[in-house]
Amino acid sequence: MTELAEIGPWQLALATSLILLNGALSLWLRLGLTRKVLIASARTVVQLLLLGWILVPIFTFEQPWMVMGIGTLMIALAAREAVRRSARTYRGIHGAAFLALLIGCGGSALLGSAVIVGVDPWWDPRYLIPLLGMVLGNALTGLSLGIDRCLSVLDEQRPRVEALLSMGATWWEAARPVAAESVRMAMIPILNAMSAVGLVTIPGMMTGQLLGGTPPDQAARYQIVIMFMIAAAVALGSVLAVLISLRALFDGDHRLRHERIRRRDR
Amino acid sequence: MPPPRLRAAKLSRSVQERRLFHGIELQIDPGETVALRGPSGTGKTLLLRLIAWLDPLADAELFLDGLPAAELGAPVWRSRVCLVAQDVPAHPGTPRDLMALVAGLRHQRGRAAKDPLALAEAWGLDPRAWDRPWSALSGGERQRIALALALSRRPAVLLLDEPTSALDPEATAAVERSLRDQTILWVTHDPTQAARVADRFVELHP
Repeated sequence: MTELAEIGPWQLALATSLILLNGALSLWLRLGLTRKVLIASARTVVQLLLLGWILVPIFTFEQPWMVMGIGTLMIALAAREAVRRSARTYRGIHGAAFLALLIGCGGSALLGSAVIVGVDPWWDPRYLIPLLGMVLGNALTGLSLGIDRCLSVLDEQRPRVEALLSMGATWWEAARPVAAESVRMAMIPILNAMSAVGLVTIPGMMTGQLLGGTPPDQAARYQIVIMFMIAAAVALGSVLAVLISLRALFDGDHRLRHERIRRRDR
Repeated sequence: MPPPRLRAAKLSRSVQERRLFHGIELQIDPGETVALRGPSGTGKTLLLRLIAWLDPLADAELFLDGLPAAELGAPVWRSRVCLVAQDVPAHPGTPRDLMALVAGLRHQRGRAAKDPLALAEAWGLDPRAWDRPWSALSGGERQRIALALALSRRPAVLLLDEPTSALDPEATAAVERSLRDQTILWVTHDPTQAARVADRFVELHP
């Protein structure tokens, strides 16, 4: 393997000048984004340095409980982010997103690490954590789109759902078209990404592996595995999130509890 | 004496602390049409929704032919006591898709039904309307489609909210003729229509 060129403080500072260009453009064109650019840049630096710093002991000590702990934290943060992107909310939405990502992404990352790649031990942080991160980052987009669509249809097209209930539909019969529409919506980004990958884009994981010196054909195979893991995680996660949300918004008497949906003030 | 077709008791509803109606009792015998009247904002639509069990019942009691609603369960209750809303929403696909969806519902499957296309055609609706997307249909067309779908399932009681508000006088007369002998709670603003169709009146006061 070729030696990876090291990034020192000087190189980081040089990269920062790229962001200063962003800020300068914002000031010059009066985009009003200067503050946002600064905050987002600061978050990037702090969060990534923190991640690198946290991963050092986890990679060094190789304790399964540490890996599970950081994995759970990553899932909780992803769930929070997925919920934050939805324009509407309800009580229990965080739990729904967490459970959906835990089963969808956790399951997919475990399967990828333990069965497909066949890592030993199955929780090896060097594999499990980047795999989980990749899957989470992509799945949360799909998940938030699915939840958002589900809530907006129930909120804005309530008469359509209640018309079916009025004809004697059970809650599930009335909700099934909404569920299908929401999951379809959730799948669009990953399906688009799967069509464009390799032609238009080189995904982050493959870029990382290429920089790290992995032969391109191996990097490509890893990327194929990752894409399919993401697709599975989005499908399973969004189905779960939408089903849990629907169940929470209909009651035992097969009524749509519209008042449980709250619009978020932006 | 047989029980009334529909009996409702202790119907109450408040919206944001404001009491709209309280402790209403209502009975409708088989084949009877009761007109529900009252100025806007008195809760006529909410009363229909309550009887359709689309809103929480609180203390309200509902019986169909003497059977309590709780014993039937909400989906069975609604398949027998069917609400047709005033503004008929657009559904995915065409009215014919909705017709198939409704016919396939667990509590509608296998029940003898009338042909909704024939019903609506008698009210002046072109049968080709059933194959157009909902967005291409007028309010009057949607109203006749929704009413025909509900009536075709032979419900025990129809809860109608201004069912002819978007229809011309000719179609209105045809609808009124078809609904004779049905058991109906009928909300209407039009006093002459109420006089034509109703055996009895219930009035909501502000």
